[in-house]
Amino acid sequence: MADVTLTIDNKQVTVPAGTLVVDAAKRAGLDVPVFCYHPKLEPAGMCRMCLVEIGRPMLDRATGKPVLDEAGEAKIQFMPKLETACTNPVSEGMVVKTQLTSEKARAGQKGTVEFLLTSHPLDCPVCDKGGECALQDLTMAHGPGQSRFLFDEKQRLAKQLPLGELIWLDRERCIQCARCIRFQDDIAGESVLGFEERGRMMQIVSMSEPGFDSIFSGNTTDICPVGALTTSDFRFGARPWELNAAPSICAQCPVGCNLTFNTRREAKADGQIVIKRVMPRQNEQVNEIWMCDKGRFAYHYVESEKRLTRPLMRRDGKLAKVSWKAALDLAAEKLSEHKKNSVTLVSGRLSNEDLYNLNIFAGKTEAILYTDMGGGDLTSLVGVSDGTNIGDMGKGDAILVIASDLYNEAPIWWLRIKAAAERGATLIVAGGRAAKLDRFATFTIRYAYGDEIKTIEDLGGKSKIAEAFRKAENALIFYGSDGLGLAGSTSLAAACANLLKETNHIGRRNNGLVGVWPRVNDQGAWEMGFRPTADLAEALKGKAVYIVGADPAGDDPALAKALKSAKFVVVQDISMTATAELADVILPAQPHTERAGTFTSGERRVQRFYPVVPAFGESRPDFSITAQLARQMGIILEGSSLPIVFDFIAHSLPAFDGLNYDRLAEVTEQWPMVGRGDMYYGGTTYENKDGLGAHLSSAAQRGETFKLPAAKNVKPLRPKEGELLAVPVTQLYDLGNTVASAELLAQRIGAAAISLHPETAGKLGAADGETVKISWNGSQSEVRVRTDEGLAAGVALVPRSFGIALREPMTLTVKPAKKVK
Amino acid sequence: MAHILLRHRDIPNLNVFEVYKKNGGFEAFKNAVKTMKPEDVINAVKNSGLRGRGGAGFPTGMKWSFMDNKSWPHYVVANADESEPGTFKDREIMEQNPFQFLEGVALGSYAVGAHAAYIYLRGEFWQVAAFLDERIAEMEKAGLLGDKLFGTEYSLRIHTHLGAGAYICGEETALLESIEGKRGQPRVRPPFPPAVGLFGKPTVINNVETFANVPMILANGADWYKSIGTADSAGVKIFSLSGRVKKPGNYELPFGKTFRDLIYGEGGGILEDRPIKAIMPAGASSSFIVADDKALDTVLDYASVRTLGADLGSASVIVIDDTVSVEWVVNKTLHFFKHESCGKCTPCREGTYWMLNVIKRIEHNRQAEDVSMLYDVAKQMQGKCLCALGEFATMAVTTGIERFPADFGR
Amino acid sequence: MSLLEPIIELGRGLVITMKQALFNPVVTVQYPEVKREVRPRFRGRHVLKRYENGLEKCIGCSLCAAACPSDAIFVEAAENTDEKRFSPGERYASTYEINMMRCIFCGFCEDACPTEAIVLGDNYELSFTNRRDAIYPKEMLLEPVPSADMTTPRKTEANVFTRSVPEMKNPKDWESGDTVKVDT
Repeated sequence: MADVTLTIDNKQVTVPAGTLVVDAAKRAGLDVPVFCYHPKLEPAGMCRMCLVEIGRPMLDRATGKPVLDEAGEAKIQFMPKLETACTNPVSEGMVVKTQLTSEKARAGQKGTVEFLLTSHPLDCPVCDKGGECALQDLTMAHGPGQSRFLFDEKQRLAKQLPLGELIWLDRERCIQCARCIRFQDDIAGESVLGFEERGRMMQIVSMSEPGFDSIFSGNTTDICPVGALTTSDFRFGARPWELNAAPSICAQCPVGCNLTFNTRREAKADGQIVIKRVMPRQNEQVNEIWMCDKGRFAYHYVESEKRLTRPLMRRDGKLAKVSWKAALDLAAEKLSEHKKNSVTLVSGRLSNEDLYNLNIFAGKTEAILYTDMGGGDLTSLVGVSDGTNIGDMGKGDAILVIASDLYNEAPIWWLRIKAAAERGATLIVAGGRAAKLDRFATFTIRYAYGDEIKTIEDLGGKSKIAEAFRKAENALIFYGSDGLGLAGSTSLAAACANLLKETNHIGRRNNGLVGVWPRVNDQGAWEMGFRPTADLAEALKGKAVYIVGADPAGDDPALAKALKSAKFVVVQDISMTATAELADVILPAQPHTERAGTFTSGERRVQRFYPVVPAFGESRPDFSITAQLARQMGIILEGSSLPIVFDFIAHSLPAFDGLNYDRLAEVTEQWPMVGRGDMYYGGTTYENKDGLGAHLSSAAQRGETFKLPAAKNVKPLRPKEGELLAVPVTQLYDLGNTVASAELLAQRIGAAAISLHPETAGKLGAADGETVKISWNGSQSEVRVRTDEGLAAGVALVPRSFGIALREPMTLTVKPAKKVK
Repeated sequence: MAHILLRHRDIPNLNVFEVYKKNGGFEAFKNAVKTMKPEDVINAVKNSGLRGRGGAGFPTGMKWSFMDNKSWPHYVVANADESEPGTFKDREIMEQNPFQFLEGVALGSYAVGAHAAYIYLRGEFWQVAAFLDERIAEMEKAGLLGDKLFGTEYSLRIHTHLGAGAYICGEETALLESIEGKRGQPRVRPPFPPAVGLFGKPTVINNVETFANVPMILANGADWYKSIGTADSAGVKIFSLSGRVKKPGNYELPFGKTFRDLIYGEGGGILEDRPIKAIMPAGASSSFIVADDKALDTVLDYASVRTLGADLGSASVIVIDDTVSVEWVVNKTLHFFKHESCGKCTPCREGTYWMLNVIKRIEHNRQAEDVSMLYDVAKQMQGKCLCALGEFATMAVTTGIERFPADFGR
Repeated sequence: MSLLEPIIELGRGLVITMKQALFNPVVTVQYPEVKREVRPRFRGRHVLKRYENGLEKCIGCSLCAAACPSDAIFVEAAENTDEKRFSPGERYASTYEINMMRCIFCGFCEDACPTEAIVLGDNYELSFTNRRDAIYPKEMLLEPVPSADMTTPRKTEANVFTRSVPEMKNPKDWESGDTVKVDT
């Protein structure tokens, strides 16, 4: 489409056709004030704040050509009324006069602000939005100096109304811009907010039970131009100008959303620097300007009481506080002693630098990645290339999501893939049960758990869906571990990688395999050379174990048993976990908020995070501890400078070639503009001044030849009479270490429950909400039953991180329901 | 002159199917479907000079010709919301001469190629809707509606749809939103309904009275219709006369008669023969006309009334005499508009609320500053609102204060 | 040339001195036994005021901290409930500290306060012997309760103290001083 040239405030501006006048002005550096308009939402034209004078060239009715004046210029006909800049797309030769050059527009905008203020309460002193409030800023810039409205006649509405326990609504402050409703309808796809009543009584209501039932609810507080929607997490926390901003990356899932932590030194925390809130940071290629509620509210684990502050050593069966020297000495001694028999167990919670040091440290001993999802070596081969951006995908592209409930596992990917589907991309959702993404899918494939490989093989065939996938110009496959354990997911990764290679969807941007990992840096762990093992209990028995960032004992009693029989256990972690309770030496580590480093996202994008708060107690960064431990054992590792460690990585791993800390901190201009002086335009998301990150290269991208393993056919389990097929699935809010510390999310977590189809439940004599006894492989558990009609019969969904140690599909028996009083 | 629209006043029981059929009923529709091209029907309506009777007065044939022929299907919607205070003409048409109206809807549907037409009635008209449903059923039974009419490929079904008590749903795009099941709030225009209307498809939406004219135009010819009325406004108009007159009611008059003819001729003059003070020609959405002799002798058509600084609108003529204070009338209209404002746009939502508070204050304890404030607020709203409701809410205020300052203590 | 001239000049001077010594008013104030009265707008030590019902006026909004040119004020806010109410409305200051070494007694905090909570009072006799004592916490700044049963925090009736800024003047009042009758 051609570009259009128009004149705004006597300035010539050229923009792509279809741009709205308000955006064109913004690109030219002219601010047209808005409330209801948001650059990521369809315009509504409701608030009437962006009133400008618009004139268009007069066209001769008969010839269709512009009428010229004496000077030979096109005659401009200005509309008699002011028009809204947000609903008018630009046209060639248009002349726009904003409040900078038009008295009429200035008066119109002043009138709108005055109208809004007549109903707006005098809450600025007690309102959390004060200091970052669009209404405040625009009133100062465009509003009247004095009020003409009588205070006693102001509309009185409900204040402090909880829309669910996370978001509070103040109906008096609401200026009825509908940004929250439009965000929920159009972007989040969960229409849980709406208007009630009409006229001056128009107010926001939550239409779901529990209230505001959306995992993206926190974003509405960013885009609300006033303090009507505020988070209960930050309520009365501090004023925005009193907060320090520290950039970081969310560590809850493999998307790697860019965040900003706001901190303040507090008297009520005894002078400590405390994290007051988490805000998104703009990265249009990863999370745009959004983040999910888990990232926003579940950060409290870094400040929990369970944090380890000092090294601990087991003496006389009890754990005693010791010095770093003593702890490191003992650990080094024991690990050296059992060098032939030692295991280094790590998880994807750690940064790339930590994992690099750990891999070298592990040397020739067993280096194990603690995970139940495989395939990370394949994503290194056929993963996505530089320039990949789901936001660019649309008509002609295909996205396949298999064995992953993205809504629960990687919410922002869910959001962006949904948007890609709405732009015309062919979305194929393959799963063993109904999922929230189905609604937006072009094709849905429902398979029986166990038939994942067959589903992928069918996509290499002749069906309509297979054709659509093959013909797509670009294709991504997102594979996960929904209903799969290590073996199943490894096979699935192989099948998907083969399909991509066959259909030539590798080695270019927006093509490749993406793993929906359970943890933030699982991909980094695979890149550094860590691999999971099929039988972890066996691998741990009788060994000297160095466990970093993993809690096997807390997840599985079988692993706890194995650890109890280990020769020596060194645990390096941030809080006192069940595994730490079994340790001989505990080394306190820092979470990512207390140090810098890099994470590799599921899309193989490396992003830097920066320190947010000072170190807690005597904790040290993981990579330093490993280096200090290594030194005692004669291995030289860099333990002080993260850029140096990263340089080592870049020089030893081809995927990281060419990257360094400076490159990762580079930022390019992003659109839309958010978080700067005019936060009314894009909301209060923070501007990204600290780095957009960079993609790792894949083997396919580098043109290397490689052979992909064939997908091992795992025999699907078919339960016998009286048995159920239990499959592990992931829930967004679980009892894992991060979410459990967030009191606010407690209501959303729910109790440990297995999900059954109502018929299946009925056959067992259990109704929704009742308790049953389940047993498998010698383990037993009492759980609640939840019925879900989107499941197949005979299947039980067992959520991970709820205390039921099911790590791969199993058949289990369900004892007749025992009614617990 | 025989009635063209209120024909039931000449022909008793015209709302009985057989009676209507016997009096030339449905011939125009049958003829159009069997022998005319849809464009010809549009041209006939264009040439007749028919203008929309809902208040805007937009040339009907031109509106029908704007339908986007690259986007299908097309829809026809009849606006039977009739919520304007002082308007009660459409009700009489639908209750007493329903078949002429339905035939008009059918002709309009054929003209634009629509196979489904909707009649949107205000929620309070549930009895009228039930009545129309029965009449539609009768037409279906007689083969006048349904599939493959009169041996051609053309199918048409007419459906009634009830609102739920919102004046704003008489605004065309809010009406479309309401039929779609959403909140009745006007849309941003452009795009207009002939391009993007019901369910996103091209839609013709016209007033009941407008449709009721169409069968007569097709039956008697465009020239015949154009010869009635004035050069600016062709045809006849039903005037809903109310207020301080002896004989309020619906009166069908050709354009070209004067206010005097309507108020003193048909309406029998003012009650107790008191002096007339003001005229509100368009219901609550009017500008006040000072009822001097010049006004009374002004011809009733769209252009002439505009010379008095008012709009004829839907021709719901409310007559005010010297016993009525204009301030009292404005108080009533402000109550109405504040209650009916949909709340979507800031000036109307806040402005109607503010003006109501001010006039309530004026009612109890009038201060000069309050009247100025009321005027300022009304002026501040003008030209800024999303739809006409906000604009019209201010007309009575500004013209009332400008033209009847004495009633406001000035 | 006479011997008396210098004596006469001396005498003149002494007369002036004597006049001043005997008849001029004494302006010395014998501080600290006698203290001078302060002017009405004197800016002295800060006081956090209360309403007549004993509730604190301070609503923890931090506008004083924002206005302070020397960053002397530190405020942390918290939520009021009817069970434990400090101030009317939703919000109160759980921490309120003024660093007297930074304060320049400009009165900007007083100007900024929306509820007239922080005022600069009459006391200028402020001394401390170490830096820690210079940070005046809320307890030192709050004025005493009007009567013993009006302490804060205290339990209050539900739904009575819902507004943080309970009384607002209508705009008209600033100009004419008249209150306008409003039809409520």
